[in-house]
Amino acid sequence: MPEPMIRLNRLTQSFDGVTAVDALSMDIAEGEIFGFLGHNGAGKTTTIQMLTTLARPASGTATVAGHDICSEPLEVRRRIGYVPENVRLYDTLTAAENLIFFARLSGVADPKRRVAEVLDLLECTYLADKRVGGFSKGMRQRVGLAQAILHQPAVLFLDEPTSGLDPMGIKMLRDLVMRLNTEFGMTIFMNTHLISEIAKTCTSIAVLSHGKLVYHDRIEAVTARYGDDAALEELYLSLTPVGRLAEVA
Amino acid sequence: MEAAPSPGWLIARQSARFVLRERTVALLSLMFVVLVLVSAWLGWSATSTVNRIYLDAAAFLQAAGQPVPTNPVLDISPLSLMRNMSVYVALIGALSAIVIGNRLIGLDRKAGVLPLIGIRPLGRNSYAAGKIAALTGLILALGAVAGVVAVATFLMLPVITLTGTQWAQLAGFMAVTTLYMGIFGLIGLAAGTWAKSETVGLLLPVTLWLTLTFILPQLTANLNPTAAINPISALATPPDTSFFHGAAVVLGPVSLADAYKFASAALLDYLPQGIASPSFIPPVINLVLATGLAGAIAWRALTRLSMTQGEYNV
Repeated sequence: MPEPMIRLNRLTQSFDGVTAVDALSMDIAEGEIFGFLGHNGAGKTTTIQMLTTLARPASGTATVAGHDICSEPLEVRRRIGYVPENVRLYDTLTAAENLIFFARLSGVADPKRRVAEVLDLLECTYLADKRVGGFSKGMRQRVGLAQAILHQPAVLFLDEPTSGLDPMGIKMLRDLVMRLNTEFGMTIFMNTHLISEIAKTCTSIAVLSHGKLVYHDRIEAVTARYGDDAALEELYLSLTPVGRLAEVA
Repeated sequence: MEAAPSPGWLIARQSARFVLRERTVALLSLMFVVLVLVSAWLGWSATSTVNRIYLDAAAFLQAAGQPVPTNPVLDISPLSLMRNMSVYVALIGALSAIVIGNRLIGLDRKAGVLPLIGIRPLGRNSYAAGKIAALTGLILALGAVAGVVAVATFLMLPVITLTGTQWAQLAGFMAVTTLYMGIFGLIGLAAGTWAKSETVGLLLPVTLWLTLTFILPQLTANLNPTAAINPISALATPPDTSFFHGAAVVLGPVSLADAYKFASAALLDYLPQGIASPSFIPPVINLVLATGLAGAIAWRALTRLSMTQGEYNV
């Protein structure tokens, strides 16, 4: 049996005595589009921060692309791309200047050529020479996606990628993610709130509630068991009860 | 195909380029260069004027058959004409260095790009080394500009010829000047990294600079704040009292403006006879130790900077 692309082994994080992620264990296979669902404050972003080596776990560990996030962070970083919820870039630089800088940091051999390629792939070459400061959320998200795939990572982490986007932007991003998965074989790890997106995009899902994993299965199993989007929503709400959400609020 | 430079070098190069694009940094650096030019011009002008008057007087005395005294320009060390530079360095040079250090980290934190840098294959040490290398490069550039101005001033004064030892002393003064600015650059970098808000990150080192320049010299050398900006009156013997003896022991090692002034005065030959630094640590050693300490603090702050929570609080 092949080793999973991402393996979490009792991954735990706490802040000031409060457990944000509680002994999370699961496997995500290579080539999956994994949807990570959960209410606000459930611990989704904290999990991504640990998996991308931005934060060290309090205990437990994980491997990404066969490398341990604690003992081999540089090896993990060579194999991952990351798009944060709010893509922030150097506003005074153009999109191309930003991307060339990040490409160089990622060790891309010919940054200018690669940036042109990626912008072409994402159909946003027209943004290359524009200053990022004036970009809309959708444009930023595209440049954010571009910086994440410059070095052709094996795993792409997306934190609420559709947050704040209009329906057209959501569809465009969904198509791009599917393309990166099917054409380039990238494993996608996506935090999201949008259940409809999960059903359209993901091959497996997990639900996190108050830092604990409460559900994890392949999407076919979920739809076979629960039916359409509406049923999926019912499942999600039953796993993250209103009472629990009120505690968070 | 481009050869891949090291990540630390990339951070250094990119940071230096970004900082140079900032208007505040450009204006302060320009002001520093202008004041260095002014200080050199003041020294050059004073020396040239005295020399011209002497030459006229000497010609008159010679024509009258009277004995000609020696040229007063040659009675004092030519290096002392650069003494105004030490004051401008202590004021605008240190302030420029603080702003440069602060912006070097502030540009990443304000832009919110730390997570995107944090997931690249570079260690926190490379990031810290890159930032400190960028600061070093920019401060060396400022020091080099001051050095070129000083050398040009001496070359333009035909009456003055520096000996090999004096050229070495001038080089020493420029090295001490660069070191002094470097201390404040590192303090600016450390505070900009450590502080949760951008304002605190800048106010903290500026307050420290004001304290070191205007308050501590009052306690260690009985120096009025206004005298601190005068290179001559800054160097007087403090009263022989137990307070000043105690203050010299306790505060002398941290009174960096005093250390810089005494080191400059010694190197530029304008330290009055019988006056010595109140600190028990020799001034140059004091500045070297302060650079090491500021560097260690900046390094610690940079290597511990959270890449997830690095943004400034608004």
